[in-house]
Amino acid sequence: MWYNEFISRFAVLKTDSYNRGARSRRLSLLLIPYIWIIGFIAVITVSGKALERTFDLVNIVLLYLLPVLIAAVRWGLWPSLAASLLGILSFDFFFVPPVMSFTVHDVHYLLSFAIFLLVAFVTGTLAARLRAQAHEAEQRERRTAALYLLSHKIAAETDIQQVLTTIVDTVSTSIGADIAILMPGGTNESLQLAAVSRGSKFVLDEKEQAIVQWVFEHRQEAGPGTSTLDEANRLFVPVHDGERPIAVLALPTSSRHTLSREQRDDLDALASLTALAITRLQLAEEAEQVKWLAESEKLHTALLNAVSHDLRTPLSSITGAVTGLLSEPDRYNAETKKALLTTIKEGAQRMNRFVTNLLDMARLESGILKLNREWCDMLDIVGVALKEAREMLPDRRFSVQVPEELPMVRVDFTLIEQVLINLLENGAKYSPPDSSIAVSVAATETELTVSVTDQGTPVPENDRDRIFDKFYRLRSARHVSGSGLGLSICKGIVEAHGGRIWAASRSGTGNTFILSLPLEADPDKTVTTIEENHGE
Amino acid sequence: MASEGARILVIDDENEIRRMLHVALSAHGYDLAEALSGKEGLNQASIFHPDLVILDLGLQDLDGMEVIRRLREWSQVPIIILSVRERESDKIGALDAGADDYLTKPFSMGELLARIRVAIRHVAKTEDEPVLSFPDLTLDLARRIVLLKGEEIRLTPTEYEILKYLALHSGRVVTHGQLLRAVWGPNYQGETHYLRVYVGQLRRKIEADPAQPRYITTEPGVGYRFVTAD
Repeated sequence: MWYNEFISRFAVLKTDSYNRGARSRRLSLLLIPYIWIIGFIAVITVSGKALERTFDLVNIVLLYLLPVLIAAVRWGLWPSLAASLLGILSFDFFFVPPVMSFTVHDVHYLLSFAIFLLVAFVTGTLAARLRAQAHEAEQRERRTAALYLLSHKIAAETDIQQVLTTIVDTVSTSIGADIAILMPGGTNESLQLAAVSRGSKFVLDEKEQAIVQWVFEHRQEAGPGTSTLDEANRLFVPVHDGERPIAVLALPTSSRHTLSREQRDDLDALASLTALAITRLQLAEEAEQVKWLAESEKLHTALLNAVSHDLRTPLSSITGAVTGLLSEPDRYNAETKKALLTTIKEGAQRMNRFVTNLLDMARLESGILKLNREWCDMLDIVGVALKEAREMLPDRRFSVQVPEELPMVRVDFTLIEQVLINLLENGAKYSPPDSSIAVSVAATETELTVSVTDQGTPVPENDRDRIFDKFYRLRSARHVSGSGLGLSICKGIVEAHGGRIWAASRSGTGNTFILSLPLEADPDKTVTTIEENHGE
Repeated sequence: MASEGARILVIDDENEIRRMLHVALSAHGYDLAEALSGKEGLNQASIFHPDLVILDLGLQDLDGMEVIRRLREWSQVPIIILSVRERESDKIGALDAGADDYLTKPFSMGELLARIRVAIRHVAKTEDEPVLSFPDLTLDLARRIVLLKGEEIRLTPTEYEILKYLALHSGRVVTHGQLLRAVWGPNYQGETHYLRVYVGQLRRKIEADPAQPRYITTEPGVGYRFVTAD
């Protein structure tokens, strides 16, 4: 897997038994280059002997540079040095007179040997360094890629817990040991386990709890291989964003091992990655919070405006009528008295409807709205809503169209009734007073729809969704009093029932508000059958 | 006025409501006593011997339900409760505990007076009365015949039983539970969908416009009421 490379760098953190096995395997791996070198030099010596008559000794000694270069490039400095030494010894023994002896007659050869060794050393060192650099670059690239992929993976997460779990799971499955992330939490903001490898029991003793706290506060690591608390059996790495501490990583480790520089780097990278991910999410959360606060502030103001306006308007008409009647009762005849009293009654009814809507909205908003679902006859609900609407709007004409057969629907009677009343009232508000409002009910296999159609000016298409937003009111309707609550409550109630509500304009005149409620399996069919069997 | 002189006890802790009821009901010739709390109300009930009790369910000291229960331990005086829209379960609880009827605040004086008249008249008609007559609708209990505008209509046995029970309690609210118990028996308590179906069928047979019923009206969340042209 992609992260194995990155993760394998933590392999030294595994248990002792694993390390012991690895060491003996590594020892045998170390010997292989030297066997190759010996073989190579043997081949050169044999072929050099064959060429001795045709070539000068100066040429033959150059052949011995080959294994040095190859060893340097393939295996690094030490094998290359070994190759140069073995090469010069072979040359001395097999070629320099007296042959088959390490003795050298001509002192000039000693100078040649020294130069050969120097050349071998310099080329070997250079080649080895080149090789190490290439290796390092490759390693770095792989690690970067692995870190990038891990960061990519957690960048997609939107939940802190999920990020931590991903990090912990990814790292710990690969190293086969439990790692944990500790973060401040709870009432006293003490460091608590935020994420741990799946299924593992990660328990910190009292001493470790103190270490964790220290690591968190001082933003310094502790545990084996660090300058602090070398004897602990877990390694604790602080996670911070440069200013404040965020969390602590806890890794199991063998107590005798000192971390290499790469491992250090990888741990640092992991810690930074964790810090980055957590900070990112915390910032996003804060931004969300701020947005929410601003939003609720706005709603609050809108609500206050609506409440004061919607309560004051009917209150004004009531107060006006009542004070008129009280101060000069004789000035009014029976007819004008009745008109004033009707004003009072309507004002009171309006306030009552507004309070009902406010309460419904508060219940919807706070989530305490419990649906008292019962099997209901929609015809029944329409009937009750119409009765109320007629009392409210005695001069309006209403028409109803309901099919003969209608399935029962499981809803909260009074809430759906409230939806219908709001729709009827809304229709009456935004259409000519002498026009009629039509209610029709229809049902399919899966849903039941109720449409309320008025003869008002059609709502512009762009606004048809927005009129269900809280406090949203059409620009063209400023003169009509209203809070902009009614339709949003309708939407809230209908959606709480798993239904939909929308506005349409059929044939371009008037507005139709349609609410659709899902139908459940209807238990009445069986009831009807029983009745028929037992019937007359 | 038929009910003139009847004694009404109002138990409500809100001054304005009590004052309003006092003025309006006195003007209709009723004799009034008032109590500000449940305990005082129970005391008053034993001293004043009212013909009817109007009880607000939202009292401070005693649960309205508790007042009904204690009152019913020794008295069959009709009780009308006052409640708010949001508390349907309270209304049902109070009706099941023995209250006779309810009004949702805010209510109109006309409604209250109608409820008072029905409750005091104690019209619980009995089956001894062989014929129940309403405008355009007649139930002949002895012969199990229903006449609508003089013509016999055919009802299934269940529809007939529902109509009979509602008509016997005409003018008063009948909860879903009461109706289910009376027609189907005690094992069908929660089965309101039975009721919805049969009441729907019944309305289609006896109502000129089932969407605007004249006889059987729905009391949202509570039950039904057989309306008399009172």
